[in-house]
Amino acid sequence: MVGTHWDISWHRSIGRDTFWTPAHIAIYMCGVLAGLSCGYLILSTTIDGASPLRSAAVKIWGFRGPLGAFIAAWGGIAMITSAPFDDWWHNAYGLDVKILSPPHVLLITGMVGVQFGALVLILGQMNRGTAQARAKLEWLFLYVGAMIVVCLMILIFEYAVRVYMHSGFFYRVVSITIPGVLAGLARASGRRWAASIVIGIYSLFIIGCLWILPLFAATPKLGPVYQHVTHFVPPEFPLLLIASALALDWLWQRTAAWRPWLEAAVSGLVFVVVLAVVQWPFASFLMSEASRNWVFGTIYFDYNLHPNSHYARYLFAPLEKTATQFWSEMAFAVVAAILTTRLGMGWGNWMRRIRR
Amino acid sequence: MRTFVLLLAISSAALGHVGSPDVFYEGNAGPYRLLVAVRPPAVIPGVAEVEVRSASPDVREVRVVPLRLTGPGAQFAPTPDVARRSTDDPQFYTGSLWLMGFGAWQVRVEADGAQGKGELSVPVPAMATRTSTMQKGMGAGLLALMAVLVLGIVSIVGASVREAQLEPGVAAPEKNRKRAAVVMGVTFVLVCLAVYLALKWWDAEANAYASNIYKPIQMTATVASGGGLTLNLQDTGWFRFSKLDDLVPDHGHLMHLYVISAPAMDRVWHLHPDETDPGAFAMNLPTIRAGRYRLYADVVHANGIGETGTSEIEIPSIAGTPPGPDDASGSSTPITQADFNRVVSPLSDGYRMVWERGATPLRTKRAELFRFRVEDANGKPAEDMELYMEMAGHAAFVRDDFQVFAHVHPSGSAPMAALMMTRDSSGKHNMQSMTMDSPPAEVSFPYGFPQPGNYRIFVQVKRAGKVETGIFDARVE
Repeated sequence: MVGTHWDISWHRSIGRDTFWTPAHIAIYMCGVLAGLSCGYLILSTTIDGASPLRSAAVKIWGFRGPLGAFIAAWGGIAMITSAPFDDWWHNAYGLDVKILSPPHVLLITGMVGVQFGALVLILGQMNRGTAQARAKLEWLFLYVGAMIVVCLMILIFEYAVRVYMHSGFFYRVVSITIPGVLAGLARASGRRWAASIVIGIYSLFIIGCLWILPLFAATPKLGPVYQHVTHFVPPEFPLLLIASALALDWLWQRTAAWRPWLEAAVSGLVFVVVLAVVQWPFASFLMSEASRNWVFGTIYFDYNLHPNSHYARYLFAPLEKTATQFWSEMAFAVVAAILTTRLGMGWGNWMRRIRR
Repeated sequence: MRTFVLLLAISSAALGHVGSPDVFYEGNAGPYRLLVAVRPPAVIPGVAEVEVRSASPDVREVRVVPLRLTGPGAQFAPTPDVARRSTDDPQFYTGSLWLMGFGAWQVRVEADGAQGKGELSVPVPAMATRTSTMQKGMGAGLLALMAVLVLGIVSIVGASVREAQLEPGVAAPEKNRKRAAVVMGVTFVLVCLAVYLALKWWDAEANAYASNIYKPIQMTATVASGGGLTLNLQDTGWFRFSKLDDLVPDHGHLMHLYVISAPAMDRVWHLHPDETDPGAFAMNLPTIRAGRYRLYADVVHANGIGETGTSEIEIPSIAGTPPGPDDASGSSTPITQADFNRVVSPLSDGYRMVWERGATPLRTKRAELFRFRVEDANGKPAEDMELYMEMAGHAAFVRDDFQVFAHVHPSGSAPMAALMMTRDSSGKHNMQSMTMDSPPAEVSFPYGFPQPGNYRIFVQVKRAGKVETGIFDARVE
């Protein structure tokens, strides 16, 4: 994830790159390391009949190993497959100027695969370990879960910037992406404040990127240049998902006996309402003079951001033309949050039962 | 009134010239005389190749940088790239530049050497002209990896249902196996559906990109029996540059029209129709023999992008009006009787034009200066040369199949209107205008043939109040 945010910043500050930038190497090393380590784990478990992992392994295509190792290896292959595909895409349709392209989605799917594989690998150990071992592994589990949140936020990054934060569309996109993951991770870990810990790690990670990347010099090597850029352009201040996460954790401590769909319905509604209550005024703050400092980072612009754009002029982009359209989007956001929460709960229950 | 209607409207690449996308420029970067070639990419964003040749050996470093031709993007330049100096030829430099968007760009060339620093800018249009298909080997490799990923995820899901929730050492019961088989089947269907949707998305992206591929301006031509020529440019609905009401004059005229007899290429006119409505042009033709003619109409948009409308038309015998002061005509032998070694073309009053061709064979993709000298019957350089539409001369390079056409000036192949829009880094006009009263007897044109074949070169200069046309033939390997 460090490599990914570094690479995005590279594209926003310098513009041009080759395959061999440090950021790219960090990204693809994730796939290579996952492939190699999980490949070793699988081969050693398969070949070594006395391996302690053998009894806790699954069998796929004649190979044996922990389920998480297979998932992570699959993610690694997906990431590596995306590299020549992305290179061809550049040659056919030009350099990407957006994140959502088929090869990039394959890359991000691979990354999520690696992270989910790591998650399942930890779960296998966690769920069959002692209480003491489980407590330690839970932190690792929540950290990996937080990296999945970071990864998913990259997927929706183009739709989750501050100019859209007064649009229903923004809340719909976030509601499709985040509540299910939080519900799943919280269920699987069983910790009281699991969702808050996950979002806390996500927030600290993004704040770290926001405060550290601008310390390093970078100048554009591509035109057109519309903004004077001298240092790496960092991501925006993290979304205030922490408020929703705290509210959900508080809620879930009181709803253990509820029917799942009722729990999901209330959780989805709480997620959207709390996010809107805190993010809406915070977005207004981010558009104000008071936020234009290194702490909140609204002073940073991509080198190719047109000076007439809403973003450069600190204006909200009105995505919905009428109040009806806005409230329809918000209603859609609540429905999406409920459905994804319910799916997440089912996913979490499945993860709790993982033994291999 | 009997009207002859066009027979063919050619849709070949016509982005300011036809079949000749590279941009050539010769000019001064401060104290240094540079010959620059820019080869724009076929896909956008993509990489433009830049070649720079210095006429003098005292240049130490050449740097190149792309920026928009006009607007806010023309104000801030990215960090320039240092061009690579050739090890074989120390006065030759090459560089590669990303052009990130469609439209009018300029490549700024900065030279540094013994006489200090200097810079010049070359207008470059950036338009996607093709999409690539995937090579078979690459396609097969990706298909194999996709199959591994699809079957892999199905197997992983199967294993997760069958064994993942069992305590260590416990064998999977039959119930789990059956359930796993069902779930794997469902997963396979779902993953295939996801792959299908991804392919549809790929198609949609490819189609969206294809819709941005440059569509040449279309032109229809009609000629009345009295000699009235009417040209109508048509909006191709392509992107946002395809406007017809934004044309700007290029050295004094909104349109420069070349009329060339086809297929013989033995008669040529360089004419200047007047605009009657946006995109509509008309003029009375000069005296023309009946026959078939190929038309090339150069126009320049307000953003600096030049386009060439093409058409082919049957023209009846016309006893026309006298040509305008900037109009020119010429004749030669049919191209089928071309003499590729001939370097002299006769002009009026016993004068002649000499192509200082040199002994080197002509090759494609090589930027060079085509030099022509006007002299009298005794071989003495002409002393009564005049500027022809603010230039020392105009040249058209046309391949014998009419698939290549380039209208070139002594400064190069970029429209003068676009050159006028370039600015140097201090914001001053970059254009080096021709201010001399009487140009020299020698004129040169920077150009490079895009493809091999037989070419006819029409060179037009003005001497003693009369526009003269020299015609030469070139075989390009």
